[in-house]
Amino acid sequence: MTNRREKFWTKLATYMVLIVICALAIIPLFWMVSTSLKSDTQIVESPPRWLPDKLVWNNYRLAISSDWAHFPLWTRNTLIIAALAVIGTTFSSAIVAYGFAKIRFRGRGVLFALMLSTMMIPFPVLMVPLFSIFVWMGDHTPIQWLGTSKPLWAPCWFGSAFSIFLLRQFFITVPDELSEAARIDGCSEWGIFWRIMLPLSRPALSVVALFTFMWAWRDFLGPLIYLQRPTQYTLALGLQTLQSQHGSTPWNQLMAASVLVILPVLVLFFIAQKTFIEGIATTGLKG
Amino acid sequence: MKIISRIILTLLLGGALCVLVFGPRPEPAIPAERAHDVVIHYWEKWLGPEYDAIQQIVNDFNNSVGREKYIYVELMSMSDIDQKTLVATAGGVPPDVAGLWDPMVVQLGSLGALEPLEDLAKAHGITAADYKPVYWNGSHWAGHLYALPSTPAAVALFYNTRIFHENAAKLRAAGLDPDRPPQTIDELDRYSDVLTTFVTDAHGNRHVTRVGYLPMPPEWDWYVTSMPLWFGAEEWNVKSRQFTLTDPGVIRTFDWMESFPRKLGVAAVSEFFTSQGGFDTAQNSFMRGTQVMELQGPWMALYIHHNNPSMDHDWAVAPFPTAVPGLKDVTYCPFDTLMIPRGCKHIPEAFEFIAYVQQQAVMEKLCMLHCKGSPLSKVSSNFLHHHPNPYIGVFEMLASSPNAHMTMQCPIAQEAGAELTAIVQGVLALEVDPVPALERAQVRLQARYDEFETALKRRMRVKN
Amino acid sequence: MTRGETRNLLKGLAFLSPWLVGFAVFMLLPIVLSMYYSLSDYNLLQPPAYIGAANYRALMHDGIFWKSLRVTMLYAAISLPAGLFISLGVAVLLNVSVRGQSIFRTIIFVPSLVPTIAAAILWKWMFNQRLGLINRALAPLLELLHKSGPPWLDQSSWVIPSLALMSIWSVGNTVIIYLAGLQDVPRELYEAAELDGAGKTQQLWHVTIPMISPVIFFNLVMAIIGILQVFDTPFMMTRGGPNRASYFYTYYLYDNAFTSLKMGYASAMAWIQLLLVLALTGIAFWSSKKWVYYQSK
Repeated sequence: MTNRREKFWTKLATYMVLIVICALAIIPLFWMVSTSLKSDTQIVESPPRWLPDKLVWNNYRLAISSDWAHFPLWTRNTLIIAALAVIGTTFSSAIVAYGFAKIRFRGRGVLFALMLSTMMIPFPVLMVPLFSIFVWMGDHTPIQWLGTSKPLWAPCWFGSAFSIFLLRQFFITVPDELSEAARIDGCSEWGIFWRIMLPLSRPALSVVALFTFMWAWRDFLGPLIYLQRPTQYTLALGLQTLQSQHGSTPWNQLMAASVLVILPVLVLFFIAQKTFIEGIATTGLKG
Repeated sequence: MKIISRIILTLLLGGALCVLVFGPRPEPAIPAERAHDVVIHYWEKWLGPEYDAIQQIVNDFNNSVGREKYIYVELMSMSDIDQKTLVATAGGVPPDVAGLWDPMVVQLGSLGALEPLEDLAKAHGITAADYKPVYWNGSHWAGHLYALPSTPAAVALFYNTRIFHENAAKLRAAGLDPDRPPQTIDELDRYSDVLTTFVTDAHGNRHVTRVGYLPMPPEWDWYVTSMPLWFGAEEWNVKSRQFTLTDPGVIRTFDWMESFPRKLGVAAVSEFFTSQGGFDTAQNSFMRGTQVMELQGPWMALYIHHNNPSMDHDWAVAPFPTAVPGLKDVTYCPFDTLMIPRGCKHIPEAFEFIAYVQQQAVMEKLCMLHCKGSPLSKVSSNFLHHHPNPYIGVFEMLASSPNAHMTMQCPIAQEAGAELTAIVQGVLALEVDPVPALERAQVRLQARYDEFETALKRRMRVKN
Repeated sequence: MTRGETRNLLKGLAFLSPWLVGFAVFMLLPIVLSMYYSLSDYNLLQPPAYIGAANYRALMHDGIFWKSLRVTMLYAAISLPAGLFISLGVAVLLNVSVRGQSIFRTIIFVPSLVPTIAAAILWKWMFNQRLGLINRALAPLLELLHKSGPPWLDQSSWVIPSLALMSIWSVGNTVIIYLAGLQDVPRELYEAAELDGAGKTQQLWHVTIPMISPVIFFNLVMAIIGILQVFDTPFMMTRGGPNRASYFYTYYLYDNAFTSLKMGYASAMAWIQLLLVLALTGIAFWSSKKWVYYQSK
């Protein structure tokens, strides 16, 4: 009897705490939406009020179409970079991961450890020499690198340690019998990878694609260094300049723009929730 | 459920594809018939009305001189332009013309990142006599002309005449004349004390409701390095290449700034700062009447008119008070410049545009649109009489005065500025004592400068 | 090596080739170059000139370098333990089977999806002393204490705790990793503990924590690497101020490189950063022998 009562109270307490935590997590986002719909006079009202007096949808229009903000253009730029990064990372990482997972060769363990250890190298360590490498490539090849989005996505085509690791973890769970059978049928190694491994790995590939997309969507330091003209900016960089420019943009419009930047990510999360959570869990767990 | 998420995913992908295929592109703004012209990429820091004004001048150029000489200028507005230009120049992809602030003359010039313009200027008949000395000198570094001015600034005291009159009795009681602005720093303090008002809340906390004067409003920190000028001091001696941060005048300046949080309370000052908007918004304290006096440039006339037209006749301008007897008409004159970064592929064409802007009629049109003075020595009567700022004469007088100062001509001015701004922030929060902070900064900045000079000499040796 | 082995080696290297090329060009070469730059005076406009250890010596005497290091360490000292323990606590709660569990999980994860720039704008607005939500929410409490709301980002003593607070908002990722670890803890262990008369707290202490200690360790290492690189939020929200109180290490490095074009100096900083990461993770690994329990499989 006491046991059951104790259980009831534990459960109730858990509920209460969870509700409080969830409120703390969600209220800032609610505040963002609320501010984005307030009028110019209401945002400077002190103390602030929870809800807008009347919904000012115009903030969204102003945020998108202010003559200096190239919001649609930034969206397009971001999408281009994201698409190239996603395709490049997924494809190249899958190839490399297959090599690590399914081909036995001398030195594989060492190379794998080396690859994992590169994940520890902070980007700031690389950013200065990378910049000068791209300058050099611009001077010595006919292709212009700086002031274009190429430095942002081109490295993705050479695999990313994180994605290779994630895919390798998945590939080793695929039983070898399948590939052995194909090999006996005269299938080449590439054929096995292409025709057997890839179709089987759709869930893992979508995790990689999803994570790469998220990374490209929110990356800030890369675009900050490599992009120069506002017409080339990504959404993250564009939003930052809106925020910091001389004679700042009003808060309600900034919030409206932020809501628009968050929205696609949230929608994507809600439809691919399982993929997301599993992806994070595997990379964290098997580390 | 699965079907719904499929549909949403398809919609998302479809939408993304639509944006990719049909979305806007960074389209070439060059009209078809100008496709064979030399295109000059011109980067500007301005946005909004100032940007529009520059666009007008660029259009004028494209339709006149540009059409004749087959040059087409494409204007682009950039944020963080100093840094973007520096990085782009280092990266070998510079703009052809960069509209940067004047400190970059020295900073970029000393890095060898600018094209010297003296020969081109001579060929276009542009000489020192055409300019107010402060702007012409500020365009030089190490014997080279690295820039030509576009719209310039000079700062002066703006004061709210209505609040002066409303408080006439109180001012008189304190022995002050409500019909004229303060002329010395001491007077400024006394006016400020009279005009500052507080409320005390239920818990006994004081809140400032109006300040007479406050040094350095937020977002407006770039001229903090100039404050010692009104105390007859400078922070950098360009001849001896020494920082002079422990000069008594500089220390006096910082002590004076510290007096404000001491009098008003740190919390009250910080609360006042955070509650006001930028200088160009309707929430600005001067425009709302919660600040009575401020140090500002001529453009404020435009913003006041735009944000609070009812205030149009309630303000006036005078030279900012000084702390040294006999020192008068002191001003600080930073300015916008036009420069050609190193690596530009169309130098003569780029200079063609810069020279166009230097014509008196063009320059005056631009400066009136920006609501600023003119950098040129000759000023038309139309400019003086139809300028949107009725007090433009005061600014013109100040900019021509022998006590008009340019930005410290120091290759590490930016770093020095950041250091000094940090000190001011600390001083206003009473977290930092001015004297030891200035002493430390003196040592640090001087070491940084010496390092810079050593590196410069080493580079010269490498080059030879 | 037999023929088969050679063939496998070639095949393996062929599959690895994208990464091998990428590693050489985008990792190895930059690291070597960075070493060289850190020993040079280099501003991109002129070729690098070798100057020995001068950059490192100058760094040792650079007050701002030390200040930025202190700022970063202070931030780490607050946000690292807070982040690790709070997310562990939340994960333990989320692991209790209650109705609506999956909704709770989703809600707690959502903030970590928000792109940094949007989060920065949002929190800058919430931290506003007079108009912000936080001081509004604290108003009743402040009323009791007879105080006015803290200035958050506007005062040097508050800015780092503020940024740490904001970082805790988006611990969703870490929570998910903990949750996965918690779900892997075998039920039988709890049942056995219960039979031995262990209460909930004791179970948490003697079963849960040892069993997920490898996950805690993983999160710790990731947090160390992440925190030493903090750049976005101070850049977006405070520009390193007030009075350089949020001038993080990477921010100073960035400024040296891309505002002053002191590429050599910045590279020296980068190398010190790399050594720091290695040293700190090294310490973590070394200490892990004492507290991380690896289940034999």
